[in-house]
Amino acid sequence: MRVVVADDAVILREGLARLLTEAGFEIAGLAADAEALVSLVEREQPDVAIVDIRMPPTHTDEGLRAAKEIRARAPATAILVLSQHVRASYALELLSDGSEGIGYLLKERVSDLRELASSVERVAQGDSVLDPLVVEQLVGRPRRGDDPLEHLTAREREVLSLMAEGRSNRAIAARLFVTEHTVEKHVKSIFATLRLPPSPDDHRRVLAVVTYLDAR
Amino acid sequence: MTRARLTLVALAALAAGVGAALLAAGRVDEPYQTADPPLALLVGWTFVASGLVAWWQRPRNRLGAVMVFTGFAWFATFLTDSQTGWAFTLGTAIQSMYLVGFVYLVLSFPTGRLRGRGDAALLAGAIVLVTVVEWASLLFSDSHAVLCDRCPPNVLLLERNDTLANGILQLQRITGVVLALLTVLLLVRRWRAATAAERRSVAPVLWTGSATVVVLAVSIANDVVDDPLGQLGKWALYCVFASVPIAVLVVLLQRRLARGAVAGLVVELGERADGADLRDALARALGDPSLDVAYWFPNGDRYVDRDGQRVRLPAPGAGRTATVVERDGQPIAALVHDAALAENAELVQSVCAAAALTLENERLQAALRARLAELQASRARLVEATETERRRIERDLHDGTQQRLVSLAMSLGLLQSKLDDDPGAAAPIVREARETLALALAELRELSQGIYPSLLTERGLGAALDDLCRRAALPATLDAALPGRLPHQVEAAAYFVASEALANAAKHSHATEARIRARVERGVVLVEIADDGIGGAGTGSGTGLHGLADRVEALGGRLTLSSPPGRGTTIRAEIPCA
Repeated sequence: MRVVVADDAVILREGLARLLTEAGFEIAGLAADAEALVSLVEREQPDVAIVDIRMPPTHTDEGLRAAKEIRARAPATAILVLSQHVRASYALELLSDGSEGIGYLLKERVSDLRELASSVERVAQGDSVLDPLVVEQLVGRPRRGDDPLEHLTAREREVLSLMAEGRSNRAIAARLFVTEHTVEKHVKSIFATLRLPPSPDDHRRVLAVVTYLDAR
Repeated sequence: MTRARLTLVALAALAAGVGAALLAAGRVDEPYQTADPPLALLVGWTFVASGLVAWWQRPRNRLGAVMVFTGFAWFATFLTDSQTGWAFTLGTAIQSMYLVGFVYLVLSFPTGRLRGRGDAALLAGAIVLVTVVEWASLLFSDSHAVLCDRCPPNVLLLERNDTLANGILQLQRITGVVLALLTVLLLVRRWRAATAAERRSVAPVLWTGSATVVVLAVSIANDVVDDPLGQLGKWALYCVFASVPIAVLVVLLQRRLARGAVAGLVVELGERADGADLRDALARALGDPSLDVAYWFPNGDRYVDRDGQRVRLPAPGAGRTATVVERDGQPIAALVHDAALAENAELVQSVCAAAALTLENERLQAALRARLAELQASRARLVEATETERRRIERDLHDGTQQRLVSLAMSLGLLQSKLDDDPGAAAPIVREARETLALALAELRELSQGIYPSLLTERGLGAALDDLCRRAALPATLDAALPGRLPHQVEAAAYFVASEALANAAKHSHATEARIRARVERGVVLVEIADDGIGGAGTGSGTGLHGLADRVEALGGRLTLSSPPGRGTTIRAEIPCA
């Protein structure tokens, strides 16, 4: 699988390349800023672009804007945005442009090589990947009045969080040591309790769930 | 001009008048020049009297002398009534001389100085007309044929030539009309260009003068077309002509009256409510609606308006003049007024004197507002400085420590995967991780030291300054005499001044060494940082020094900078600590 990496800090760019090579990915190129990244992606058409959110020249959200541009110019390339801070608003912005093949993770997740590799593979397959910290922010935020989330069981809340992170029913089942069938039952119950329309496929339900969680 | 001389001139004028009256009384018949002796005499005396008053009041202004001259030249025209040949001829030769004085008067009012080539050319034309041209015609004029029927003979007659003499006279009259019209034109143009205050001060003279010139032109034209107006034309001419010196007197009197305005001002100041009234009252007293008041703000070494905003006084020659009002030798305010008012310096001075106390009160309020504005600006800068500082810290953490730690996380991830399948490759990764960690710790230490030096908290200013010198990027020595601990804000401000000054010395001044002196004298901490660099440093906004000055001033202290080009930079902070 071919991957490009964009980060303005050499130490992180090279480090990531080394890790990904170690994990068996092919590095198709490195970029130090958003502009270089977009042209690199157009040229190399990689499976995944791993993008630091904060890059020159303004050091704000260049990565987000680059992600949008890559969506438009090279739709086949999946995007995994890395950041030292995660913000729910950024996550929604990323997903709202089409949640397929989009990931948003805290930078320090790179310490778990297996998890990193799996995230890269999942976005490459078209899944959405959201950092657990973003999901935690969304689920845990205080809500006014009667909170529908209060009506979920502890297990259902766990399933909800894992759905929001972009995990498939099978992955959730594996995590929670239950059968896929049980997970499906939980998902149905969650959607009914939250009065969400019947569950779409794994890809699109991330956006539905996250939008729901954000809407307070 | 002494009183004695003035009296002498007055007596001479009286005598000249009496002489003129005698001449007029002795004339045979058919008056040639003068129309009505009482009125004509009055014209002469009006000029001399007004001239003497003006001379006395404004000795340095030429106008008084000009009016006296005009009066005497007027009396001289009575010589044409003489039955003696030489006196008659002299009278005829200088019969229009008074016009030169008149033209000068109108053109140069109120300063007594001509204002340019147009003025000079007009005056020169008038002089040529009443002298050279007049005399040329006289050389060929036979009294009886050209001048009057029963006059004595013209002693200057060279050769009788009636055609030539009459031709020259006609030429003189036509040129006279043209010159008169040009003068009116010039005066109209001057009026249109004048400011309100200028108009106020020249209006009476300008109007009577213009009227005289117009009537004069009409009367000359009347002579050219064989006198259809008769005596009426001369009467009108005398009346408007005599009104000119009266107008000059009126303007003078007005200026005296204006001093009465000072009394009005004092009353008004007693009743007024606030600063806007003050400006209006002053504008009324000085007759200058465009008047502005600027208050002296000693803390800022500048003038400010009522709201405390900076005001620049007009440069010389800008059409506006500033008169500084002082009290006990200190400036308190400046009245910015029309430059024309400078002609009436006494009035301005008395207005200033009358308003000084009120201006001082107003000044204190304006200074308060200026101080407030300064404080607000400084507070805004402090907030801004805090923001900037926080952004800098966030950047430093993001680009430094966080990156090292992420890199460390990557090494650990790699290490884990190696431990599983290639334990031999683990050792270099561990070494790398330790190095990264050491770097991260060093950066963090430096950063936290920059945020707040721990030594300052633990040991106080002396120790922190000593440490600062040891870590400085250029050789720095400390000479400190500090007793124990000081209030922590004072210590921090003094420390950061020294730290910023040293950083600037190392970065910008090309200095080879720096010295820090720290003292406490009479309850004031004094920290002075001197380098031997190129100097020329400023405290403009955006420099770290500006923020530090705010910080020092917030504690009631003062930050001063001395940085003459080529002679090093010395920054000195004085902060009260008692």
